[in-house]
Formats: sequence, structure tokens, C-alpha cells
Amino acid sequence: MRTRPAIHTLWITLLAAGALSFMAHARAHPMPHSVVALTVGADQVSARVELPLDDLVLALGSDPLSDSLEDVGQRVAAYLADHVTAVSPDGTAWRTTITSVAASETEQTDAGVYQELVAQLTLTPPSGESTRRFIFDYDAIIHQVITHKILVTVESDWAGGNLGDVYEVGVIRVDTGTGQISPLAVDLGNGSGWTGFTAMVGLGVSHILEGTDHLLFLLVLLLPAPLMALPRRWGGPIPSRRAVGRILAITAAFTIGHSATLILAALTRLELPAGPIEALIAVSILVGAVHALRPLFPGRETLIAAGFGLLHGMAFSFTLRELDLSTNQLVLSLLGFNLGIEAMQLLVVAAVLPALLLASRSGAFSPFRTVAAAVAAVAALGWMADRLGLANGVARVADSVVDYQALILVAIWVYSLVGWLVTRLRGSGQAPVNAITVDSR
Amino acid sequence: MAMAAMVTALFAMTSCLASPATTTETPVGDPAAVQAVVQAAEAFLATLDGAQMAEVVLPMTNETASAWSNLPCGSSCRNGIQFSTLSETQLAAAQAVLRATLNTSPGVGYDQAMQILLADDVLGAVQGSGGGRGGPGGGGGGGYSSGTYFLAFLGQPSTDGTWMLQFGGHHLAVNVTYSDGQVAGGSPFFIGVEPTSWTAEDGTAYAPLDVMKDAVGAMITSLSSEQLAQAKLSLSFTDVLLGPDADGGFPQARSGIAVSTLSDDQKALVLAAMKPWVSIVDEQAAEDLLAIYEAELDDTYISYSGATALTSQGDYIRIDGPSVWIEFVCQNGVVFSDQIHYHTVYRDRVRDYGGELSF
Repeated sequence: MRTRPAIHTLWITLLAAGALSFMAHARAHPMPHSVVALTVGADQVSARVELPLDDLVLALGSDPLSDSLEDVGQRVAAYLADHVTAVSPDGTAWRTTITSVAASETEQTDAGVYQELVAQLTLTPPSGESTRRFIFDYDAIIHQVITHKILVTVESDWAGGNLGDVYEVGVIRVDTGTGQISPLAVDLGNGSGWTGFTAMVGLGVSHILEGTDHLLFLLVLLLPAPLMALPRRWGGPIPSRRAVGRILAITAAFTIGHSATLILAALTRLELPAGPIEALIAVSILVGAVHALRPLFPGRETLIAAGFGLLHGMAFSFTLRELDLSTNQLVLSLLGFNLGIEAMQLLVVAAVLPALLLASRSGAFSPFRTVAAAVAAVAALGWMADRLGLANGVARVADSVVDYQALILVAIWVYSLVGWLVTRLRGSGQAPVNAITVDSR
Repeated sequence: MAMAAMVTALFAMTSCLASPATTTETPVGDPAAVQAVVQAAEAFLATLDGAQMAEVVLPMTNETASAWSNLPCGSSCRNGIQFSTLSETQLAAAQAVLRATLNTSPGVGYDQAMQILLADDVLGAVQGSGGGRGGPGGGGGGGYSSGTYFLAFLGQPSTDGTWMLQFGGHHLAVNVTYSDGQVAGGSPFFIGVEPTSWTAEDGTAYAPLDVMKDAVGAMITSLSSEQLAQAKLSLSFTDVLLGPDADGGFPQARSGIAVSTLSDDQKALVLAAMKPWVSIVDEQAAEDLLAIYEAELDDTYISYSGATALTSQGDYIRIDGPSVWIEFVCQNGVVFSDQIHYHTVYRDRVRDYGGELSF
């Protein structure tokens, strides 16, 4: 017999109407079906169970939402406890815990909009046993509504290298011939720390590539790095060696800053508010952009990079938080994720840096710097408004820039090369100004 | 804990084991009618170019035969050429094939099928105006429209071979199988409708499935309260049990009340309830099929779930014989979410796909 699950915190939220558009399932079923979305951890499997209300009413014999809110949670949790079991291949029962029940409105392809209840469950095998293989004995709703179907999906599986690509593991349905419901054998294959680690490296890379704001902050900060800071304006180019040194120092400072908070926030599982941090990241880009137009903090770019890096690291930690990892997985993830971020960041800096240096030696640089900084400032303002709740076209366009990164890189190179060539042919290049600065070397 | 066993027990509670029915695959119908179908099919094919022909004529396999659906999934879940792609001449020829194949009595067969196409235009108009909710998904979908219906021949139409005509779209799947110049089966036949009734701009009132609803309704409400108690299924249905992808899935145990225990008047109502579905095929074939089902009436069971009124989600009626299988179910609307809509299916344990395929 099944052990009675502990009911931890039961809460019910009734989301206002306003359909949460749901993923369109690969295979369409004519009626709303249940969904069990699994997140496979090292020690436990979390399951989000979506129960279409109309079918649940038939299974329960009455509408649970006519009860008081607290009773709804209790009743649905007790019902699920009777209809959900996970068992190891050797027959050992897992512990089922129902952590929450909520009501919402949703939509499925071909089924239209409907009410559903969403329950969060955790399935815990006896300690030491794998979470990757189990018999899922689930018959909520279909024990009564025999035309109902339950789609079981994996949403996230760290050790299997899957960090958010939803895929179907099976459909639980009644065999119409016999009236039997066969439990679903779940076998996710072998997972490993290495698979999880490499997936995290990939996630770090794509995070930097897709999160335009992090790269933009760094690039805008690097924009005036090859130039001499004069009072209230940027002067001519400084020697290449010093420019490269500055660029590397700024990049390293940004890395140190964001790594520090990423590690700290992730390891302490700090619950940081996403909204304000995302808005402050937009502010960091704006500050960087203004500095690229006129020196605000000449000589202290590394400090600024490190300081704002702290903010960016907090944002990185949200990605890890969503994955719901064990401590071991978290440590490996931090390593992999950060490695991916740094590798991609270095690659981008390496790709842009020579063009930047080349351009800084030509008359074409000043207009380029002005336009680039202005564009970054506008994007930052758009993002800031967006993250404070004002959706706007500027933010949308800035987000879509992601698709044109390669094109932008090519454009920067072409511009720099043409500018450099034109300047050389005219013989009016700007020589690095050694004389004005006191170079200690 | 054996949940599966519990469900089996629930099944068993309302059922008794079926007596092994002896029924053979007798081809039915009028050979002259089949000849007319083949002629119309050949005339239609003659209007098509090579590429179109390849869309229409496919081999008859388990895979192609079972490629039908009640969903608005366009060509992604069914075979054949889409009506909206046909020229006027081709469309007229295609409609001639359907008129030759299907029953031409008013309210059933061809007439009823065409009303299902019209219902899709109603849904399309509502959705186009942003009035409704829900709708067809992507992937070869194409939306709600009388143009999104498909005609296919599985096997080359002939008066001596075996071949199938498939016609369907949202809420409609017609599968008629011919063998040696006779009708070998008129099932699986899925027909459903949303909205259940509407009035066209010209004032014509439509309620295409009322003929079926009234027939099964008359059958079930003729039962006494004791009979109803026997006919009641403990399980719930929010769709037909044997819809698409459920080929060969007939329940091994019979549920409900045995027709043999009913009065002659009630038996007549059971037979009358089958007629609108069986009337998908031409008059003679329908008459012959109905005669087979009548002979098997005493081994047939009828049952229901939910309420007998057929007005709420989960109201469900079934006829289950040695051959015949009919389900009628009410479910919540998809576009008109404040209304119910109907799904129904007619199958034949022996003659689905003409008995030519096994699943």
C-alpha cells in the first residue's frame, strides 16, 4: 500500500481570467488532457500535474471549486495521493509529497480555453536509488473518465543534459479492449555529472549570445578603452599595447564581478527580486553608454565593470535557480555555466577588439563611437521602461538584435577596415599620443 | 494498490461477457450503385493532373486507412486532396462521387455530411470575427472552413477489386469500403458538430445531428427506471471511446442492458437509433447492414453514462452489438465554449474498413 504523503504547504491561487497560452503539444488530442511535467533532480523528481477541471469534476463527483479554497487544496491533494505512485523497478515505493494546488485558466490546441487545477508534486525514491528509472502508476481522472489521457513529459533533466527542451515520455490511457490502465515505465537512460556539466557550458554560451544586455554592457564599456580621456571629452588613441591591457582588465573585472555574485547567489540559494535587478542592468548599460560619449569615470572603468558585474551575476543566477538543482549539481553547474559565459564573452571580445583598435586609429572612429553609444543608450532606456512594466517597441527591437549578431560583427569590421584604409590613403591617421600622458613604462 | 484491477472490476460490474457472436463478412448493397460510384470516381480522376492524382489515389494499408480524425488538423492527419484546391469542374466531379457513394435521403448521408461542412464555415466566421475561443492548431491545419475537407481513394476504384473511399475534415470521417463490386463496410464513420444548431443568413435552420440525437434519445428514454439502472455505466465519457486511432479497440466485455430483455417496441427503437448512422452508405447497402444488425439485436447491449437528456458534458449513449458499435457523446464546446457539442462514431466489429484490415 502507498504511504500517505505529507502535505506541506497547501495553497490555492485563483488566477484571474486571461489565458496563459500553453505549449502546443506535438500530438493533438481532441479534448483537454492532463499533463504531468517532470523535472528530474538528483534525489527527487518534481512533477507539475495539470488537471482539466471539467474532467476532474466528473472524477470527483462534484466541483472542487465549490468548496472553500482551503478545502479545495486538501481535497485535491488527498485525491492525488490516492492516484499517484512511483515505484522503483525493484518494487520499492517512492514517497509522494504534494506541495501545492492552484487553479488557473489555460488553453490547448483543439480544445480551446478551459479551467484547470495545477498541483506540484515531488516523488522521492528511497535514498541512494536512481531518479531516472521508475514505474509511474498514475490514474487520476482516468480511473473514472476513461476517454481521458495523460501526457507525461520531461521538462528538465540536468543529468540527462536536458535543461528545458520539453519532450514526451509517454501517454497514460485506458486500454479500450480490456479497460485496464497500464502504469507508465519511465526510463530516462543514464545521466551523469559530465552530461549535466557540458549542458551547462552550452547554456552559458547561449545565455551570453541570447542575453544581448550582458554583452552590450561590456562592449559599450570597451568602446572608449583605446582612447585617451581628456577633461570632458575623449581624445586620440593610446598605444595599442595599453589599449589591449585596458580591454583585458575591464573584461577580467566584469568577469570577477559577475562570477562573485553568481556563485554567492546560487550557493546560498538567495531569492533575489528579478525585476529591479533586470532594470538596474539596463541602467548599467546607460551609464556605460554615456561614459562612451563623455568620460564619466576615466581610469576607473575596471571598478565600474566589476561593480556592475555584481548585478549581472545576480541575473545569471536566476537561470540556475530555475533548474532546481542539488548541491553537487549546483557546483558543477556553476563551473560549467560560468565557463560557457566566459568562453563566449572572450570569443566576442577577441572578435571585436582588433576592429575596435583599428578603427580607433582612424577618423571614422569618433562618429562610430557616438552612434554606437547613442544606440546602446536608447536600447537601455527601452529595456529600463520594459522592465519597469512599460512594454515598448524599442525593447522589442533591442531583444531581436540577437538574430543579427553576426551581421553586426561583419558590419563593424567592414566599417573599421574601410575607415582605416581611407585614413591611411589620405595620410591623416591619428598617431597614438604618448606625449601627453605620463607613461610609467 | 491495483488501480487497473479496480477499473476492470468497474467494467465487470456493469457487464456480462459477450456470447461469441457468429457473424460473417457479407458484402451488402446494390452492384449497380457500386458501378455508379466507380464511374463517378473515374470521371473525377479524369479531371485531375498527375500530381493531383497522386494525392487522391493511395494504397490501402493499415496506415492510410486509419489516417482520419475528428480534429481540425487539415492534411496533417488525413489523406486526400483538399476541396479548396479543386477547380469548379473538379469540385463538381468530386461532389458527384460523394453523391453516388453516400445515401441521398434527406438529413442523412450526403445531405448530413454537407451540413457538417457548413458548420465549419460557421465556426470559421465566428473565429474570423474574433468572437469564439479555441481553434485549430498549426501543422497543416488550415482553420475552420468547408474548403478544408479531403477526398481520397485507397486502392484504384473498380467493380472487382477492394478499395476504400475516404472523405473527411473537422468533425467528419467517412470511410466506405468496396469489395468485388459490393459495399463491404460503411465504417468507421465519425460525425460530430459544433455548433449543434444555427440559422443561416437565408433563414434556413440547421441542426444536422438532431436526427441522431433524437433517435438515441428516444431509445434511451423508452427504458423504465429499472432498465435504466441496468443500462447505466459507472464510468464517465468526455469523448467517444473508439474515435480515431482506436481501431480494433472494441471492449472485450459488453456493458449495459441486453436488448434481448427489452419489449418489441423498445427493440424497434434500438434498431431505429442505428439507422441514421448506417444510412451513411447508399440505400440498399444501409438496408442490408441494418438487416444484419437486426438479426443480431438479441446479442446487442445499450448503455448510457451521465444523463439521458444529452444536454451536458459527459452525457453519453452507446449501442454495442456483435457487429454494430455506435457512440453519441456531449462535450463542452471549443469555439462556443458556453455550449456543448456532439461527437459520434459508428463502427462495426466485423466490417470496419470492409473487414479487410486487422488492427
